[in-house]
Amino acid sequence: MKRVRALVWTAIAALLPSAALAQEQGVSADTITIGAFGPITGPAAYIGLGGRDGMNLAVKEVNAAGGINGRKLVIVFEDDAHSPTRALAAVKKLFEQDKVFAVMSVGGSNATVGAVDYVKERGQVMYVSIASAPQVTWPFSRNLFRGGTTEAARYGELYAEYLATNAKTKRIAIMSGREEYPRNEGDATVAKLKSWFDIAPVARVEFNINDKDFTGQLVEVQKSNPDIVAFFGNPAEASIAMRQAKELGIKQPFFVGSNMVDPSLIAAARSNAEGVTGFSLIPLLPGSQLPDMVKWEGAWRKEYPNAPAGRPNNFDLLAYGDAHVMAEALRRAGKDLTTDSLIRALEAIQNYRVGPVATPRTFSTKHHVGNLTLVPMMVKNGAWEPLPWNSTRESDILKRYQ
Amino acid sequence: MTGTLAFQLAIAGVSVGSIYALVALAIVIPFKASGVLNFGQGEVVTAGAYLALVLTTLALPYPLVVVVVFVLGALGGVLIERVLIRPIVSAPEFTIVIATFAIGLLIKGAISLRFGDSPVSIDGPFGMVPIEFANLRVNPTSAWILVCTAAVTLAIIAFFKYTRMGKAMRAVSINAEAAQLMGIRVSSVYRWAWGISTAIGAFAGLLVAPVIGINPEIGSLILRGLVAAVIGGFTSVTGAVIGGLAVGLIETYSGVLIGSAVKNLVPFLLLLLLLVFRPYGLFGAAEIKRV
Repeated sequence: MKRVRALVWTAIAALLPSAALAQEQGVSADTITIGAFGPITGPAAYIGLGGRDGMNLAVKEVNAAGGINGRKLVIVFEDDAHSPTRALAAVKKLFEQDKVFAVMSVGGSNATVGAVDYVKERGQVMYVSIASAPQVTWPFSRNLFRGGTTEAARYGELYAEYLATNAKTKRIAIMSGREEYPRNEGDATVAKLKSWFDIAPVARVEFNINDKDFTGQLVEVQKSNPDIVAFFGNPAEASIAMRQAKELGIKQPFFVGSNMVDPSLIAAARSNAEGVTGFSLIPLLPGSQLPDMVKWEGAWRKEYPNAPAGRPNNFDLLAYGDAHVMAEALRRAGKDLTTDSLIRALEAIQNYRVGPVATPRTFSTKHHVGNLTLVPMMVKNGAWEPLPWNSTRESDILKRYQ
Repeated sequence: MTGTLAFQLAIAGVSVGSIYALVALAIVIPFKASGVLNFGQGEVVTAGAYLALVLTTLALPYPLVVVVVFVLGALGGVLIERVLIRPIVSAPEFTIVIATFAIGLLIKGAISLRFGDSPVSIDGPFGMVPIEFANLRVNPTSAWILVCTAAVTLAIIAFFKYTRMGKAMRAVSINAEAAQLMGIRVSSVYRWAWGISTAIGAFAGLLVAPVIGINPEIGSLILRGLVAAVIGGFTSVTGAVIGGLAVGLIETYSGVLIGSAVKNLVPFLLLLLLLVFRPYGLFGAAEIKRV
C-alpha cells in the first residue's frame, strides 16, 4: 500500500509542472506572441516590407494603449521571399520553434498558398491580410481568416461588372503574370465576364515576373483590337508594358489589378499611367491630402523617419488595418485566451475598422472573407482619384458559404 | 507576319539587345584582362540606375549626369578591385567568383535599404514619345541606347588596339607573368580593367533606367549579359555586342513566333546548341598552350 501511495505521489509530482505550463502556446502572463511572414527580399519585397511595417505600427499603437487584457503584443517576422516553400518553412518555424499563438500573412498569394494546408491541419489561427488566393477561405476552414485583400473571385466580379457596364467595353484583352495572384485575378475576371455578361476576352496572354520586354504579348493584344487592356501583374512590369504599348501604337486604355492601384505605379510609369483605371482595397491612398490620411502618414513617418521613396504604400495600410482587427479580436477573446476563443471573437467581428484609413471587416461562423469592398479609381494629373461608380450586383461569393 | 511588324520587332529586339550588349561588355572586359568573372556586374548596373535617379533629382543637366555616372562608376570599380578583389587574387577561381557574387548582394542590399523596393523611373534624355516613320515607331531613348552601345564598343576596340594601357591589358590577358617581366604593372592593368567595366556597367544603368524602370531587381539582366558574352566568345568585345543583339532579337521574335511562355527559354536553348558546335562561342578561340 505504501508503495502504491508513493507511486501515485510521484506521478502527481511529475504531472504538476506540465499542468502549470498547459496554457496556450504563445500566450504568457504578460505577452501574446504572434508570428508573421511576407517577402522582404526579392521582386515582391514592396509587399512584405509594407505589410511588416504597417503591422508593426499598429502593434506599437496597441501596446502604447495598454496592450491586450494586460498583455503586450509581440511580433516575430519571417521572410518568405514570395516563395511558397519558404512560406511553409517560415510558418513551421514560427509555430514549432518560436511557439507563436497565431500567424498573420502579409505574404501575397504566391507564398501564402504554400502554408495553407499545414496551418489547416495544425488548427491554429492564420489571419491572411495580403493574399487573394481562393484556397485561404474556400473550402471553408475554421482557423483561416482573410482580411484586407479580398478573395480573387470578388476581384473578378467587380472588374467584370465595371468593364462591361461602366467602361462599356466588349472587347477586352487580358495580360496576366504567371504567378498565383495575377493569374487568379485574370482567371476570375474571365470567369465572371463569361457567366454574368457572356463576354469572352479577345486576347489572353501571360508573362513572367520580372520580364523586361512585352513586345510579343503586346503584338498579340494589338492584333485582337481590344477596347481596353486589363493588366494583372506588378507595377515594374506594368510600367514597361505601358511604355511599349505606346511605342507599338496601342492607344487603348489600361485597367490594372488592385495591387497596382498604388502611388508606385505612377512613380514607375510616369506619364504613361495617365488615364489608367483600377480598384483599390483601401479608401484613401498614401499621399492623399485628406486629413485622416495626413494624420496617419504623419504617425507612420514618425515611426519610420528614414523611409525610402514610395513608402508608405498600400500594403502598409492594409496590414495596419488588419493588425488592429486582430488586436480587437484578441481583446474580445478575453483574458483566458485560446485558439477557440480567438476564432469565436473573430467570427463576431461586424463592420469593424480602426478608422477611415481602412475598409471595414465582417466575419461570421459561415465565412471568413472579411472584406468585399473595393473603390474604383483612375489616374488623373499624376494621382489616383476615386471614380463615381458603385456595384449594383450582389456578390456570388457569400452564397456558397450558406 | 507583315513586313512592318517584322521591322517593328527588329527595332524592339535591337533595343533590348543593346542593353544586353552593354552588360556583356562590362562582363567581358575584366575577364579579358584579369580572368575574373564578375557576378556582381548586374548590381553595378542597378547602382548606375539609382545614381542616375539621384542626379536627376538634383536637376543636373544630362551631359553632366553622364560624366558623373562614368566617373563614379569607374571609381567604384577601382575601389572594389583594390579593397576586395586584389587581396584574394591568388585564391582559387571559385572563391573569387563567389566574392564577386557577394559584392553584388552587398550592393543590392545597400540599395534596398536606402531606396526601398518600390519601382521608380526617370525620363529619357529625348523624351519617350515615339518617333514615327514609314509606319514604324522608335522610342528615342532606345535609339539613344543603340547609339551609345555602338560608341562604347568602338571606343573599347580603339582602346585595346591603339592605347598603351589597352595593349598592356591584352598582354596581361595572354600571360600575366610574362607581361610583368616585360615591365607591365599588372596591378595597374587590373585596376583599369575593373574601372572601365564598372564605368560601362553604371552607364548601362543610366541608359536603361527610362526604359525598364529602376528597382533593386534590374541586376537580373546579368543572366542575359552572360548568355550574350558566352555566345560572342568570352574574350571578344565585338562578340559580346553581337551576342547581346542576337539574344535581344531571338527573344523578341521567339516571343511572337513561338509564344511568350517559352521566349525566356529560347536564348538558353540556343546557347546550349551553339556550345555543342562552337564551344568557344562565335568569336572566341581555344587557348593555345605550349607543351
